[in-house]
Amino acid sequence: MSEISPEVPDNRQDAPSHVDPNSTRITKPGVKRLVLTLSVLFSLVLGFPFLWKSVEIYRSSLPFGEISEMESNPSLSFPCRFQAVFINFNSNPSPNHLQLSILDKITELTSNSSQCGACANDLALSVTVDSISSCTQTHPTDNSNYYRCGAISAVDFDFSNDDDDGVDELLESVLGVKNVYSVVVVNGGGEGIRAVVGKYRHAWIVGSVEEEEEESVLVSRVAEIFVKMFVNGGTENGLIHGEFMPVGADRRIVLSFNLLNAEPNDWVYDWDFQRVDETLLAPIIKVLGPIANISVESQVLYHTPKSSFSYWDEKWKSYIFSTKDLPFFVNSNEWHLDTSIAAGGRSKILQFVVYVPSAKECPLSLLLPTGEISKTNGFISPMWGGVVVWNPPGCLNSETNHPSRHTMSREDLQAVFEVFMGQFRQLFGLKSNNLYIGASGTYHLLPSGKGFTEWELDVLSRQFACFNLHSCATTLGSLSRLVQSLPRMIIMDEIGKLVQFSLEAAKLAQSNASLGDNESSAVSSGQARSLAEDAFFHPSIMSISYYSFEHCFAIYSPFFLPVSMHVLLAALREWKRYKQEKAKYTAWKAKVKVES
Amino acid sequence: MQIEASLWNASWATDGGRMQISLSYAPFEARYRGFDVARCSVDKSSDMNQFSSSGSVLKQGGGEEFSEELLLKPFPDRKVLAHFHFQSRAPHSSSHGRHHHLFPKAIAQLVKKFRVKEMELSFTQGRWRYEQWGGFDPLSSNNAKPPGVELWAVFDVPQSLVDVYWRNLTHTLSGLFCASINFLESSTTYSAPELTFKPSFGNLRYGTLPREAVCTENLTPWLKLLPCRDKAGLSALMDRPSIYRGFYHSQRLRLTSSESGSDEVDSGIGLEQTLTVVLQPSSWRTGKTYSVETNIQPSWSISSIFGRNIPGKCVIAKSSNVYLHLDNGLVGELKNLERENAKYVANTFESEGFQSNHAFKISVTPDKVFEEVDYLHGKSTSVIYGFSVEKYSDSQPFDLGLTWKIPVVWSCQQAPLHASRFLMGSGNERGAIAISLESTESSEGLPTSHIIDGRCELRVDIFQVVPWYIKVYFHTLQVFVDKQPRAMADVVDKIRVSPSKDKVSPGVMEMILKLPCGSKSAAFSLEFDKGFLHIDEYPPDANQGFDIPSALISFPSFNARMNFSEDEFLNNSPILSKFQETSPVLSYTEVLLIPLTTPDFSMPYNVITITCTVFALYFGSLLNVLRRRVDEEERILRSRAGRKAGWISQLLSRLSAKLRGRPQEQPTSSLPYSFISFRLVLKILLVASIAVTWQYYFG
Repeated sequence: MSEISPEVPDNRQDAPSHVDPNSTRITKPGVKRLVLTLSVLFSLVLGFPFLWKSVEIYRSSLPFGEISEMESNPSLSFPCRFQAVFINFNSNPSPNHLQLSILDKITELTSNSSQCGACANDLALSVTVDSISSCTQTHPTDNSNYYRCGAISAVDFDFSNDDDDGVDELLESVLGVKNVYSVVVVNGGGEGIRAVVGKYRHAWIVGSVEEEEEESVLVSRVAEIFVKMFVNGGTENGLIHGEFMPVGADRRIVLSFNLLNAEPNDWVYDWDFQRVDETLLAPIIKVLGPIANISVESQVLYHTPKSSFSYWDEKWKSYIFSTKDLPFFVNSNEWHLDTSIAAGGRSKILQFVVYVPSAKECPLSLLLPTGEISKTNGFISPMWGGVVVWNPPGCLNSETNHPSRHTMSREDLQAVFEVFMGQFRQLFGLKSNNLYIGASGTYHLLPSGKGFTEWELDVLSRQFACFNLHSCATTLGSLSRLVQSLPRMIIMDEIGKLVQFSLEAAKLAQSNASLGDNESSAVSSGQARSLAEDAFFHPSIMSISYYSFEHCFAIYSPFFLPVSMHVLLAALREWKRYKQEKAKYTAWKAKVKVES
Repeated sequence: MQIEASLWNASWATDGGRMQISLSYAPFEARYRGFDVARCSVDKSSDMNQFSSSGSVLKQGGGEEFSEELLLKPFPDRKVLAHFHFQSRAPHSSSHGRHHHLFPKAIAQLVKKFRVKEMELSFTQGRWRYEQWGGFDPLSSNNAKPPGVELWAVFDVPQSLVDVYWRNLTHTLSGLFCASINFLESSTTYSAPELTFKPSFGNLRYGTLPREAVCTENLTPWLKLLPCRDKAGLSALMDRPSIYRGFYHSQRLRLTSSESGSDEVDSGIGLEQTLTVVLQPSSWRTGKTYSVETNIQPSWSISSIFGRNIPGKCVIAKSSNVYLHLDNGLVGELKNLERENAKYVANTFESEGFQSNHAFKISVTPDKVFEEVDYLHGKSTSVIYGFSVEKYSDSQPFDLGLTWKIPVVWSCQQAPLHASRFLMGSGNERGAIAISLESTESSEGLPTSHIIDGRCELRVDIFQVVPWYIKVYFHTLQVFVDKQPRAMADVVDKIRVSPSKDKVSPGVMEMILKLPCGSKSAAFSLEFDKGFLHIDEYPPDANQGFDIPSALISFPSFNARMNFSEDEFLNNSPILSKFQETSPVLSYTEVLLIPLTTPDFSMPYNVITITCTVFALYFGSLLNVLRRRVDEEERILRSRAGRKAGWISQLLSRLSAKLRGRPQEQPTSSLPYSFISFRLVLKILLVASIAVTWQYYFG
């Protein structure tokens, strides 16, 4: 400690002895201590940002902008290649004119539904007018996979008879090109216009066209087939079911079939599932191969009553449950349908349930809201599966006390599995009617023996990609919202990487889709979805380390509170004293000046 | 459509209870997804299952069958054992991997996915009392289990993959049974016994969770594996309040699967589910009426034990039987009583099956009576009454009752040695584990096969797993036989020790002992140091202590099996054929509770606070020293003193001057020091007495 402070310098001795140190000062006040305290204060203030930086929580930067961009528009645009072939048109309409009017109609039809999977941007249409005398064709720019002139005429087939399957096979042999959807319009034949959509990627319209108006009808029909059938899959709502695509991100579906004996004390039914698997399910699984990898398992459960009530109806001579009971039909307490251990983590499990009612509610029928009894006696639940109520034969008159054991007959099984097939298609958003009533007429749909037609599979594959992308976008969106809402959450680099990869895969899916590669688009969209889920369910997010602000304050306040008090007070006091002393000094100086 | 889900055991959310959940972040959002990452490949090649339109369900079920049985047994200590035994079987074939009629799908998929050859999982609460409930019969050897969860599994995979399969299996089982079996995933919790547990080739894993609480949420998924669940059949008896009120409760699941290659008849997957409960019949009222004879056993019936009746069989079951087992001690005692009472001489049990004799009465006529045949000794043998539930129904439920007429005292047959384990030493630093084996009187007639090289020896296997934080010094193993210290080589035939590695693997000790026949007792002690755990590794309730899993003591030279005379019925009864299988006599010791030093979890905070305070003080004083002007302060002080100040400020200034070690220049005060100190002492005393009274009355 210095004995002599700078404010009291040596020239004090020279000062007049009568000077009162409390009111006057004859030397300039020193700044040594002021500088010292201020420098400490400034270094503390300057050091504060460094400290703040050093205790900051590690957060990998997520591409929030890209995520929100993708979430706002998770769409894939597939290219659509259409061709319309007009055969035997005597009036020889100009193909360019036809092309324009069909395109107009298509844009009119697609304008009101701009969902994922539709081809709003990339659409190519080729129109061929092929008559005996001449063949004119409009060529879209890109490829030469379109119809060659005279190919159909060369086969010389009679379209007017009712052999639809034959026509279908013939057209497949002539037009069979992947990625191109064709409509063949044949002039001639009987009265009226008959439109058939085949099993492959084409449809045909047969009718006698003489007048101009009828030509516009044809044009609108062609456009409708393109848009409603080949693009939207014949569903009214288009691809709105895309949110409910029952396929796992790893393209696997486990079909779990369950035979539920509600009350085994009345009767016990068993089934020969092995046979069903081989004869009925195997072909469908094979057909769906490009879309999904399907595995099948089955079990029989006992003591599984339904949880809704039914009542006896004399009119139908059966117990009735109505559609408003359906939400309560599935008894989750007693139906231990179980998720499958064999199914992988991202596989989708679809439950199909055959419900055998007990004796006191047999026969059990589903009453539709229209007041009729359901023919299928079953219902579906989207993304879960389907239920079919199967009434055992002669259940009204059996009054036996002893539980009887039976096996479902092959015919019964066949009937039940036909219903299941329809339910399965319905779960994919496809209809099972063989008639489609559009705005400009009805269309016959040729059913495929394998359950799914090729154009339906195309639709499903597009839908799958869309669904994956959509769910990827929602998952990433909720992740980014979560991350942004918790500013003190640690985010590891892995999550950032996963998000990045997921976005990259999504972009790849989009670019593949626009190139028309459904297959690889579906694959990379699936990757995007699973990567997004990986990021969302990353364990480091699960065990969120709770490092709150209060925590931080409690740790640092014992040091920084007293220290900053000291530093601030010292600086303040020094500053005050300096000002005071300076004022005294200037007053003295002025006085001296005046005196001198 | 609805999804029901519940979060159980959400300790991950709170990081083991250390972190508080901040409700300021509510509402919480939970998302679910699949829990597995792989699946079995679909077996495309499947042979055609022949279709038969006529015949029973059993045949149509592709050979899958299910049977249910219940064994009741009175114990000498006025308790009753109820042992449920459910057996399901699925034949092995590639097609039946996917389609199931009776066999639980989940189990079949589990076996197929994890290549499980053999597996046993048990959930136990309470301790099996070997002294009172016996330790020699197949029932106790197979069904007495250590408290908590015990899981062992044998895998049909190469040795390098066994650990991976074990980990996946624990996760799946944990989901399947709603239990924390997934804690067995960590390599510190499981071990690979080789010598003593079961003959294995490195593909066996064994793990226990001694602290796992067993409750109805574990029973429900277990019941789900039964085709009738608890809706019909014998399992309908499982009234939760009654069975969890028992003294011992053990639910067990045992899987055996054999490859299709073996040409055995019963190849395929066998699932054996047992529930063993020991219950006290509520018979205090009968005890009062027979107040003179306090020794009389309580009379009970199924409805009085469980509060329910058996409403007929489960229709899908192949067989549904109830047995009443009277063990050989009881039968011997009854025979003795019979001999004493001359008038009952004619009434022998062999002919009448003594269902209504002088000692007790059974309310239902048994359909079958089995008597154990003991070819070796010809001593008294146990008797089993069989009742078939087939003919009973809802309107006419089955209710078996046992009414005692005279007091009977007997004891169950014990294992040759009674094992107990305890801790020695005190303090938080070190201790010792001791295992003591006491000879029981019942093992007098040792079979002659134990005489090796002219010496009569008793082989005892000990299997002990110790967690890594109990650092056992295996060189300190001390052996006492008949309370005399003995050299290790004299007694220990074979020993295998795998020392624990910190945070990697537990310590495993397997010993094969050869004890001399006549020895009354043997004891082993091992010293250990208690390790330190990382702060993350403490369980939420660390002060409760740490459990050391039960040691397994087995007597391979004794076989717990019962011989019955050949009968067609026996082969159809899984429980009786199980009794006839040869299995070694096993017993588990108690679980030990070791207190470890538990740190004060708020310590880091305290350290931070005090360090910061010290630093702040140092910093502050340094800063003060740097900017202090001593002479100016003195001047100001002087001028202040010049003004008339209060005596307190004078006192203060004087005190501060004293502290600085400078003489006060202007001693203005004239107060004597003694007066000040007297008042000061008075004040201090007053404050101290207030503090003491406060502490006394409110502290």
